This record gives sequence, structure tokens and C-alpha cells, in this order.
Amino acid sequence: MKAFVAFSKKEFIEYLRTYKIMILGVVFLLFGMMNPVLAKFTPEIIKAAGIDLNLPEPSALDSWAQFFKNVGQMGMLVMVVIFSGIMANELAKGTLINILTKGLKRRTVILSKFFVASILWTLSYLFCLLITYFYTLVFWKMSGMHNVFLSFISMWLYGEFLITTLILGGVLFKNNIGSLLLVGGLTVIMTIISIFPQLQKYNPMTLSSDNMSMLTATKELSAFIPALIICCILTVLLLIGSIILFDRKQV
Amino acid sequence: MDILQIHHLSKRFGSTQAIDDLSFNVPEGCIFGFIGQNGAGKTTTMKLVLGLLKADQGSILVNSEKVSFGETKTNQMIGYLPDVPEFYNYLRPKEYLKLCGEITGLDKVTIEQRSNELLTLVGLQNVKKKIGAFSRGMKQRLGIAQALLNEPKLLICDEPTSALDPIGRKEILDILQRVKDRTTVIFSTHILSDVERICDRVAVINQGKLILNGTLAEIKAKHKSNTFSVEFSSSDDKTAFMSSPDLKQLSMNQHESNLGVTIHCDDIDKTEALCMEVMVRNNWMPTKFEINEPTIESLFLEALR
Repeated sequence: MKAFVAFSKKEFIEYLRTYKIMILGVVFLLFGMMNPVLAKFTPEIIKAAGIDLNLPEPSALDSWAQFFKNVGQMGMLVMVVIFSGIMANELAKGTLINILTKGLKRRTVILSKFFVASILWTLSYLFCLLITYFYTLVFWKMSGMHNVFLSFISMWLYGEFLITTLILGGVLFKNNIGSLLLVGGLTVIMTIISIFPQLQKYNPMTLSSDNMSMLTATKELSAFIPALIICCILTVLLLIGSIILFDRKQV
Repeated sequence: MDILQIHHLSKRFGSTQAIDDLSFNVPEGCIFGFIGQNGAGKTTTMKLVLGLLKADQGSILVNSEKVSFGETKTNQMIGYLPDVPEFYNYLRPKEYLKLCGEITGLDKVTIEQRSNELLTLVGLQNVKKKIGAFSRGMKQRLGIAQALLNEPKLLICDEPTSALDPIGRKEILDILQRVKDRTTVIFSTHILSDVERICDRVAVINQGKLILNGTLAEIKAKHKSNTFSVEFSSSDDKTAFMSSPDLKQLSMNQHESNLGVTIHCDDIDKTEALCMEVMVRNNWMPTKFEINEPTIESLFLEALR
């Protein structure tokens, strides 16, 4: 446990001193502020451009639609790039050799890295969510929202799934291009799966792309439960897989 | 008592046999030079001892405990300095030692005390900058400090001096000499003068096989050459000595650059006595009379042949 705390502290200092925490903070702050502002002023911008579209009056739901779109696409991308070196950098550089020969358990390395990255992802996500919430309240009344907890938690969970994928990629390929390619490959596969409507409810990707259907209850909640369960199972399996693989790896 | 015992060790990478039936022991309390050309298998042997690689065959005992691949308990007795030690560039030396100490499970007071002591030993006590701004020599010295943090019984250094300038090399060798009382040191190198300077025992490895092993004195005695040289104060003495009828059966080479003569013979004691007797009789007093010891270079080259 002491070793876990020590290594996690080092992880945290690393994110801080390599400015990754700052980048995450700034990016998610900007998204948080952009979401409601974009929702509010898009109709007026379009009008000012001289296009007469006769858009409906924007509401809190439009702000949340922006939130899921921005965080689900650009936000995830930034998060993945920031964490792409999570295992890969240390394995490529050899900084772990000293630490491992000091008797640190290999699983502690993986669990600690997952733990710190999860905390940073959770805080960034919460930060963005709270800012969007606050500005949305300034413009509108919150209404028409269903399944609030599940809508938001599923996108967070998808982020966790991507983090474990990056860890496995790092262990497998020892460089961050490998980590990124594994995430990219998985995304491609899930995009292909999403072509088939009957497979949709098992596809973890819906957790970051179809949140509005959940929030507005236009789809039954049961349409998301299998994907949620599969995403949880995959996350745990990827984590365990990384540990087993890393234990057998010659460094 | 042997701190490290290696029995019939073999390791293969694809089609290359990196280590081939290697066996040797390292007694406690010595500085052990592990010599070989680049690619001879030095780093592989060290990584096998640390459990970072999996051996195909054979066994390794550290302080009589068996080394196993992966998380091996024996590493608690070993301090390791990799050939190019990599640290976290954003940490300061003291923070790095603290991290290492906490991982090994040392308490706060001990970490603080040993960090200070070790940073002083390696001459980094007043360095506050981040490791990213360190020179190679400084990294190497910090590497020794981190390797000694858990008071290991065995310190393994992989080519600690290879990439350094002469001053950096001297500093590292001095530090290794100083830690000799607290731990056994194994260090690999291909710089033979370093070996001669600080090692008590050496092992020479080539293409994964052991080709020479023992104390420096033993090895030199075994390969003692039957030559000696005499140097005179004037060229007249030298010419007279070389043309002396009493010595004409000896094979002599005169040195081009100075007033010396090298003599090759079968029975060195008898020949020495003869030469001295002739010199005394003729009053050709030498300025130097020396048995030519084999250099470690010549031993190394001979062993490789």
C-alpha cells in the first residue's frame, strides 16, 4: 500500500510538472463554457448570417446536447492523447527498470497508473459538467431531463474503458503510437458494429454517442443496459489482461 | 562465502545464443570486474541476475537464494545501476531517492538520513535542479546513490564508466572504491584500465562463454611472460652490454626510443642472475631492471584468441 501511494504521488507530480493537468483543465473549462453559449447563440448567429431557418427556441437540452457532442468527441480525443503515454513512455524510456528492481510489484504500477488517470479523467469530466450546468442555469430552467445519472455516468464509463485500452496498448507495444492505434482500431471496429442496428445495444460506443436519447428518454433505458454491462466487463478484463501480460513481459 | 553463484546459465534470443553455459562465483566483499566486448553478453547476464529476463537454462543464487523471473525477492539484496540509467526528468534528485525509498518500504527518517548521506557520497548534495538538466556523469552518480539506498549486499553496475569523460570516469571509480566496505561490487566494462585500477577479481566473457576467471594477481601469475628489460644510463653501456660475449646466446631487442634492452628467455631466474653478474663485473650500472608483467590488454587479447 505504501508503495502504491508513493508511485501514485509520482504519477500525480508527473501530470502536474509536464503540464498535462493544466491542459486537461483548460480544455475542459473551455468546453464547459462553450456548450451553453453555443446552444444559446447558434440561432442568432445563423440569423445574423442572413439565413432564415426558423429554428426552435433553444433550451437546456440543447446545451446538454452540445456537452455530449463536445466531450464525446473532442474531449475524448484530448483525453486519449494526454494519456496515450501512460504505460508506453516509461517502457520505451526504461524508467521503470530502476523502480521494478527496487521490488515494486508490477501490478502496483498498472493499478496506480489506472487510479491516477481515472482520478484526473473524473475530475476533468466533473469540472466540465459543473461549468456547463452552472451556465445552463444562467440561461434556462432545467427541464425535460430523464435518466440523469445514467446519461452522465455512461460517458464517464466509456472514458475509463479508453484509459484501460491505452494501458493495454502500452504494455503490448511499448510505445504510445501503439496505444493510440489500439484505441483507434477499437473505435473503428465499434463504428463498424454501429452500422448494424440490431447490434447497437451491445456496442459500448453508444455510451458516448447516444447519450441524448437516454437523457430525453426517446429510447428505452433497456436499450443501453447491455452496452453498459459490456463496457464494465471490458474495462475490468482489459485491466486484468494488462496486469497478466505485464507480469510476463521481459523489460 | 559467495554472494553470487551462477551455474550453467544459458539464454537465447531468437537465433543468437547470448549466454552459453556460463558458470562463475563472486565472493563477498570484492570488486568484481566483468569484462567483455560489446555484445559479449554482459548486460544479458546482469538482467538475468535481476530477474528481468527469463533464463532458458541454469540457475542463479544471490546470497544462497534462488533468483526467479519477474518479482524476485533476491532484488531486495541487490542495487542495480543500468548502463544508461533513466530517471524521471521532472523530479529532483532528493525526490527521486524519496520515491525509491518509499517503494522499498523504508521509513521517513531513514530515507532522509540515507539520502543526505548518499548524495554527499556521490557529490550531489547541493544540486537542487531537476534530473532532466543533469549531465551524463551526474545521472550516473545519482544512479549509484539510488542503487545503494536499500543498503544492498550486492551492487551491480552495468558499464558505469563507458559513456563518461575522463573526469567523470575517475569520479565513478573513486565512488566504487569507497563503497567497497559496505557492499560487493560487480561492474561490467570494456575499458581495461578501469579494471586494473579498482578490481580485485575479474571474469572475461566472450560470445556468452566464460574464458578467464580469477583474481588479477592469479591471472597475471599464470600468464607471466618470460621477458624482462634493462635500461642503462648511457648508450655506450648499452652497446657494450649487447655485444658482450658472455650474453651472446640471449635473444635481445634494443628499444628504439631509450637506452633499454628487452630480453626474452626460457628460464627467467637463471638469465636474470647471469645478466646481473655480467653487469656488476663490467660496472655497467642499470637505471632500471624490470620483469615485464603481462598487461591486462595482452591477457584479454590472448584469451580472445
